[in-house]
Amino acid sequence: MRAYQDMVFSTAARLSGSDTQAEDIAQEVFIRAYEHFSDLRSSVTAGGWLKTVTTNLTLNYLSRYRKRWRLFSEMRSSAQDSEDDGAELDWEVPDTVLADLSAEQRSAIVDGALRQLPDHQRLPLVLYHFEELSYQEIADKLGVSLTKIKTDIRRARAALLPLLQTVGGARDTLDG
Amino acid sequence: MNKRTEAEQKLEQVLHRVLTGLPPRRAPGTLESRVAGELARRALLPWWQASFASWPIAARVMFILVCAVLGVVTILGGVSAYLGDRSFEEATALVLSWAQPLLTVVSSAGGLLSLLLHVIPPLWLYGILGVGAFLYVTLFGLGAAAYRTLYLAPSSAGDAS
Repeated sequence: MRAYQDMVFSTAARLSGSDTQAEDIAQEVFIRAYEHFSDLRSSVTAGGWLKTVTTNLTLNYLSRYRKRWRLFSEMRSSAQDSEDDGAELDWEVPDTVLADLSAEQRSAIVDGALRQLPDHQRLPLVLYHFEELSYQEIADKLGVSLTKIKTDIRRARAALLPLLQTVGGARDTLDG
Repeated sequence: MNKRTEAEQKLEQVLHRVLTGLPPRRAPGTLESRVAGELARRALLPWWQASFASWPIAARVMFILVCAVLGVVTILGGVSAYLGDRSFEEATALVLSWAQPLLTVVSSAGGLLSLLLHVIPPLWLYGILGVGAFLYVTLFGLGAAAYRTLYLAPSSAGDAS
């Protein structure tokens, strides 16, 4: 358990955006792992199994709330969508972000910024960049259209970068 | 490739480098003891309080058989008690006698609706439909506004690390 607990907790925390929920989910994951201990003990894919179970449990956990709000979250007018899609990034994308900070500092800043994103942006972004799923796999997992996934990830990136730059810049100033 | 696409691709690459380069979050020190405690608590439960999937095979088979028998007995007993020793024709007539009042109610409601449609001026009907549609749209809009204000607004709901 010790070998995997950080990975399981990280996955749940970054997907759910809540440490409390992540701890509950991690507990349930390890209890399920215990129930399958005889299969997992000698398996070389135990890490992958744990990651998949963690991802699915977290999505199940969040979907209890997501289903309730899906109607409203997807009812943006097509006019508004096309207007947003047409908007260009009005700032220069830097070559590096948070490069001069330690791994722990970067982790704290990124996790704080991820928590500020709404669920419908954070979930696909984390699944794409951390879990390295394709757009289609994410759309299938979340039960929404491929177009919406691409739009949400693009918006999430556009929202995340300024957050990282602002907080990272402030941290640099404080540290300096 | 236009400027926008280039910027988006660069943003994706920059963020991907940052995100994939992060170390995993450290799990709380209490996690291991929580899991051990929960496993110990579940181990103390008698088998019938555990999930059905972990019951002994014999108990699961017996449970399903007992449920099936009880279901069949309940249905047959209910039908038998209701129909008694009536013939098929009598039983059919009895069932239809239950349906008759329902048909009467539906028929009366249809008659009443037809009467109202003839009595009420069409303008009133359009007005009522318009008010209904307005109320529906208003409540839908209020729900959407509440969602966007209370739920979608970026919150600091995440727990402090």
